[in-house]
Amino acid sequence: MLEVSSLCAGYDSKDVVLGVSVAVGEGEVVAIIGSNGAGKTTFLRAVCGLLPVSGGGVEYEGRSITDMAVHEVARVGISFVPAERHLFPEMSVAENLALGAFPRRPDPSQLSLVFELFPRLEERRRQAAGTMSGGEQQMLAVGRALMSRPRLLILDEPTTGLAPKLATEAYESLAALRTQGMTILVAEQQVPLVLDLADRAYVLENGSIQMEGQAAELRDNPTVQRAYLGVA
Amino acid sequence: MTAVVLDGIVLGLQFGLLGVGLTIVYGMGGVLNLAYGSMAVVTATVVSITMRSGWPAGPAVLLGIVTAAGFGLLLNLTIMKPVYRRRGEDRVLLSLLLTIGVAFIVDGFLVWRYPIEALSLSVGGDPVLILGVPMRTGSLLASAITILAGGALILFFRATTTGKAVRSVIQDEIGARLCGVNPAAVRRLIFTLSGALVGLVAVTQSMTSPVPISAGFEITILALLVTVVGGLGSIRGAFLAGLILGMVNAMSSFYIGAYVTTIILLIAAALTILLRPSGLFGERT
Repeated sequence: MLEVSSLCAGYDSKDVVLGVSVAVGEGEVVAIIGSNGAGKTTFLRAVCGLLPVSGGGVEYEGRSITDMAVHEVARVGISFVPAERHLFPEMSVAENLALGAFPRRPDPSQLSLVFELFPRLEERRRQAAGTMSGGEQQMLAVGRALMSRPRLLILDEPTTGLAPKLATEAYESLAALRTQGMTILVAEQQVPLVLDLADRAYVLENGSIQMEGQAAELRDNPTVQRAYLGVA
Repeated sequence: MTAVVLDGIVLGLQFGLLGVGLTIVYGMGGVLNLAYGSMAVVTATVVSITMRSGWPAGPAVLLGIVTAAGFGLLLNLTIMKPVYRRRGEDRVLLSLLLTIGVAFIVDGFLVWRYPIEALSLSVGGDPVLILGVPMRTGSLLASAITILAGGALILFFRATTTGKAVRSVIQDEIGARLCGVNPAAVRRLIFTLSGALVGLVAVTQSMTSPVPISAGFEITILALLVTVVGGLGSIRGAFLAGLILGMVNAMSSFYIGAYVTTIILLIAAALTILLRPSGLFGERT
């Protein structure tokens, strides 16, 4: 479904991501793990068109989206949830969700699907997004991303700023999406959580892929355990 | 006293709409358009000249407003291009420099070509008593048009998908892009709308007092005052600040004298900024 080949990207002509290739199949959940500053965010931003690509390419369902602007990528069926969330703070939950469906009007059935996943959002539909707690904002960010009925959901560090319990809850909702057949690509530092969710994972360090494999295999890999799972 | 308050409201409504037209452009992308008032005098010139050549008021006003809107669109498609490539303070500064240049050229050209031109639309009819005060029909019509335009604007921003998209870009541009909103298209729309709004204000203003062709900078500065008091980028702030400043204007010109009103307005604006540096509703919509 998504085929990223030897992608290079960075800031001000200095590349941070150095030839990363990642593939995501239909219905698959793929994780990108790595430490802070490894290039995960840069990679995802380049894939989504938020950052210019300086080398390599991105193909989505057989067509190149390498040079598409982010708003065009959003319209082909890919939704990106950045770590900073980028909600509309002065707008209500309902308005934030409505904009997720842009340029179409929000679809009631999709809206009830989002409310089913996050009942909290329905309770707070009139509240301004900026006044909600971190956990609720995270739900809204995912909810807004779902309103366009994406086929591929890309998330960057969905647990940023969340307490452990809320982080677990965030991953439970992603697991629920997965059972509905959603294809997910997620970058995460909280490696145990994401390896429980994912089918496959890539280890990204210093801008390139160091390891890849089935999530279960990586969980048992001594190097991964030492580096990311806190196993001595 | 009632008469002064009513005058203040009539003036304040127009100030509010004037401020909104400037503030939406700032909110969109941190751009200050100092050629704002020049778009108003373009409308004034077009309406005045076409009417003198025999056009009826309606079509002449329409053409005037469309011209100002087109002017706004043209600015956005030409000299704003390099501005949008900059970020933060660079963007504000470059927009100030480029648009002030445009203002000099446009104002200079108009004053050179039509030195004594001024737009003055006379609205017939006897004064109407409002709360015991005889109000000129021109003032009432101007207020009615302004309220209608303001209401339509609020409806547009609150209830339409496009209006929400505009607000989304004002609040978080990256978030808007992630939702599939194209900021460049929204900017085109807003610059055009801004031109139409200031053109409309020139028309309503001319129903109460003449708008001289040389008034470009004065209008820009007035709009800046309203915008800064209301909070840059805030639509409701601009409306509220417009009403307050309109009231201040009417009071000071009645009790003190018209020649000091500009100074009083500046003082009022300076006080607001000292007390609330980001304006009444800083950075909101």
